Amino acid sequence: MNTDECLPGRREGSGVALRACGEVGAALPVDVLTYEEKSLSAILRVVSSGLVKLWSALTLLGFYQNRRCAFRVLQTSPFLLALSGNSRELVLD
Amino acid sequence: MPTPSREGQAQSLSAEAWQQVSFLIPECGILPEVLKSTIADIGEYYVVRNLPIHELVAHEFIDAFVKKGSCYALTYNTKIDQDNTAALLPNGKLILSVDKDTYEELGLQGRPSQYSGKKIMRYIITIDLTDSGFHPDSKKHNRVLWALKEKKPLEFDFLLAWYNTGAEGSTLMSYFSKNQIQALKPKITFSMLRDLQCPVLQSNELQGKPDESCSTEELFEWLGAVLSQVSLDNKSSSFVSTYCCPQPNTIVEKAFLCTITGFIIPEKIIQLLEQLCSYFDEPKLAYWLTLTVHGFADSPVSWRESEHGFHKGGENLYNFVIFRNLDYWLQMAVGTNDDCPP
Repeated sequence: MNTDECLPGRREGSGVALRACGEVGAALPVDVLTYEEKSLSAILRVVSSGLVKLWSALTLLGFYQNRRCAFRVLQTSPFLLALSGNSRELVLD
Repeated sequence: MPTPSREGQAQSLSAEAWQQVSFLIPECGILPEVLKSTIADIGEYYVVRNLPIHELVAHEFIDAFVKKGSCYALTYNTKIDQDNTAALLPNGKLILSVDKDTYEELGLQGRPSQYSGKKIMRYIITIDLTDSGFHPDSKKHNRVLWALKEKKPLEFDFLLAWYNTGAEGSTLMSYFSKNQIQALKPKITFSMLRDLQCPVLQSNELQGKPDESCSTEELFEWLGAVLSQVSLDNKSSSFVSTYCCPQPNTIVEKAFLCTITGFIIPEKIIQLLEQLCSYFDEPKLAYWLTLTVHGFADSPVSWRESEHGFHKGGENLYNFVIFRNLDYWLQMAVGTNDDCPP
């Protein structure tokens, strides 16, 4: 069983939020598995015992380098494969 | 390893339509024509906006679609952990997953949700539309119709699909022509992955063998990385990411990845699975290929008719790894609020 959890987040606003993970990273090892500039979204990986800490840290992060920002968590799963499909984002033409 | 037919496995796995199907074929530059035509034949699905649910209980609908072939329906844009949701299964069962207030107003018999906790806030109502006791003049039918039409009318946007073996009669488009019905084609994307690190696998070594092959779990995570475009080549000292392709691995010059998104019925997935198995009828460089199928996070059922819920996630997916020698691995994943897959 995979003991890591993967957590994608979408950032509203500008700035490089990747380095923001460094603040959490100081306390908790977090992998930024992907980051897509176009959609401002990333997939993060954290050990399952750290999920709540990471999620709450992201939720409470409102400023980065004096610029406003906000994180929205779109999907979480212990399986990275589950993140490649998100039916809640299914858009019909 | 037991080997029931893969097709039989796939059939028994499905009581619902699926949201996304992906397959990955290493060492494949050009997709064989027969696979191309199978994908082209995946078929349309339909969305009907603002459809009152009592229309699915009407005997004209049941006789035209539910009793002939396999009819699938699922409410669109409803969240299983918040909203009322409904699904129609190919065996003729209509499943309603409703909140406490709606359940009490409807007055139909159901049972509390397994994932409701101490205070029951969600109920599941199952109506068997093909039951012999559900004929047009029966008490059962009249009560259900009254509840859904007059007592507490419920209306949803529905995704619909119908599989019939060439039966004559009306189509979904003509039946719902007075409603806002729209035919949609699944979205299909192809990509060619170059210089892809692929794990070395041995079909009979599920746990992997040090320096010889990777385990099923490593493959499962690697596949997630590939489908999510995660870099496979990080150092363990890297600040950004430490994920790397499991060892042992080989670099494959090219790999074909196809993703189909929409409302995909199991009958079509089985056809695709059969064609993927036939890929190895002729000699191929690839040792294995994968087929991954994702369910809807907000479907009220998964794996036959087990109740499905959404806790922190609504994952509900399965993955076939088909080897050159036609051995296969089947991996199934569910979320917290799910029964174990069969």
